Amino acid sequence: MLRTQIGDLSLPSPLLTASGTFGHDPAALAFLQPGDLGALVLKTVTPEPRPGNPPQRMAEFPGGVLNAIGLENKGLDYWRREVAPQLEQVSMPVVANAGGHSVSDYVAMVQAFSAMRGVAAIELNLSCPNVQGGIQFSTDQNALAEVVAACKSQAQKPLWVKLSPNVGQIQPLAIAAAEAGADALTVCNTLMGLLVDWRRRRPILANGTGGMSGPAVKPLALRLVWEVKQVVDVPIVASGGARCADDVLEYLVAGATAVQIGTASFRRPQAISEIAQELRQILEQEDLSLQELRASLVWPNPVSC
Amino acid sequence: MVAAPSAASVIALVEEHRPVGPDAFLLQLALPQLPDSLAPGVFAMLSPEDGSGPEIARPFSLYDCPGPNQVSFLIQTLGCGTRALAALPPGSAVRCTFPLGNGFQVAAAERTVVMVAGGVGSAPFLLYAQKRVALGAGANTHFFFGARSGERLYDRQAFASLAICSHFATDDGSLGFAGNVLAAVEAALADNTIPAEALFLACGPAGLLHGFASFARARKLDAWLSLETYMGCGYGVCNACPVPTEAAGALGAWPYARTCTDGPVFSLRDIQF
Repeated sequence: MLRTQIGDLSLPSPLLTASGTFGHDPAALAFLQPGDLGALVLKTVTPEPRPGNPPQRMAEFPGGVLNAIGLENKGLDYWRREVAPQLEQVSMPVVANAGGHSVSDYVAMVQAFSAMRGVAAIELNLSCPNVQGGIQFSTDQNALAEVVAACKSQAQKPLWVKLSPNVGQIQPLAIAAAEAGADALTVCNTLMGLLVDWRRRRPILANGTGGMSGPAVKPLALRLVWEVKQVVDVPIVASGGARCADDVLEYLVAGATAVQIGTASFRRPQAISEIAQELRQILEQEDLSLQELRASLVWPNPVSC
Repeated sequence: MVAAPSAASVIALVEEHRPVGPDAFLLQLALPQLPDSLAPGVFAMLSPEDGSGPEIARPFSLYDCPGPNQVSFLIQTLGCGTRALAALPPGSAVRCTFPLGNGFQVAAAERTVVMVAGGVGSAPFLLYAQKRVALGAGANTHFFFGARSGERLYDRQAFASLAICSHFATDDGSLGFAGNVLAAVEAALADNTIPAEALFLACGPAGLLHGFASFARARKLDAWLSLETYMGCGYGVCNACPVPTEAAGALGAWPYARTCTDGPVFSLRDIQF
């Protein structure tokens, strides 16, 4: 009932983890029931180890959280040695997420992930708001096209490109990524935000700014999914504050093929299984299929006043 | 450190709130099931299931296991997360991910143990004290419990009624030793009430723990701390609870440890604190 196709990749469900919210390895899968998760999207890996930002790395506000973890990860060599072998035992597709500072960094990551049997697809994190450098890939369509084309030429696996919401117009970037060869677009990364401790006259996060996620960002991400759907044909993987089946269905109706669940898993480690259960019930009760719901949004006619 | 059995995320039901001071209460929950053995210092992530709390659950050390499938947590009402838990009437559903983290190793009976707590930092030590009494080691188990005032020595009767050596300290002198709990520990070391070779365990507010860390380093004590940091998930996936590691320590292969899965109990040798 929930089976979902993203390009050549067949997934048991349209529900995916969001990179950075379900760990560096498959350990947290123990909280989920088989068949509920469509693909395990793991935390960003970079060519070299990165210690990440000093604490405080996360803070909350009504409706969401702000994080600046800073891509803490032990680097590609460690991942290849310690994590990749575990992925071969995972029963659903695994999407590896690549980070870096330069075109050559991303190309090296794509080459490495392509050679790993346990990796089914590669998501490019071109838009982390919490690290220095690399920001031009998410805001400049020429830079984006260059890095995506370079990665695509080396990719032996489907290549997903995660877009940033921190841009004036997302459509030119979506078109650039799709034309450069992206097999799917993830819409979107976190929104850059700031929380302030006014008594200390300091940002709450040690990094200053951080990436906003959680229910508060859903309307914005929904709008971006809709806008991207108007200009590209590649599948869209939505990401932004979804925490229940209704949220997921809203994204599908707006044009997404699959939906990543991120911040909701923090409070509820089994959120994805609960949402899958709820989704099956709704589809059964209302006699609907995911297929007929996808991209079915009817836009209102403009009313002149 | 003792690793927790694998955690489950379940719906627990509120059985009781029991006020234990002007700003704290014991939250007793019924769980569908409980692991056979729980180390003192393991914790749960708790949040109201009805969505009345914030997006992020809050971590609490296991306080007591009062009956079959029952657990209780000592909670100081401080912000929106703890207020939301305080407002739940009996019968309410609480999302409970438990047991999490590495707890305190319970020392062999012949070794003297000195527990140092401030405020709700007493939480991991009730179980510890119970386990020491069960080992027949109550006489060489010392519990130093400090707070601003006597009424903030939350649930002190629970400790006073155990066959251990409890030492209370209050900043305002309203109960027990007049002064900081570390001053009480220092006095006990000076008059040989406790030996410097004891195992020292501490939990409490950041100020107390920093003071304890300097105190323990200066005297080369075998010291362990249960840390509290901001946590996003509690089960190791978000990387929001880093604690800097000591390069020469057991965790020194990486600059940060995760409080949730590498701790919350750390040897002072292993972390920069």
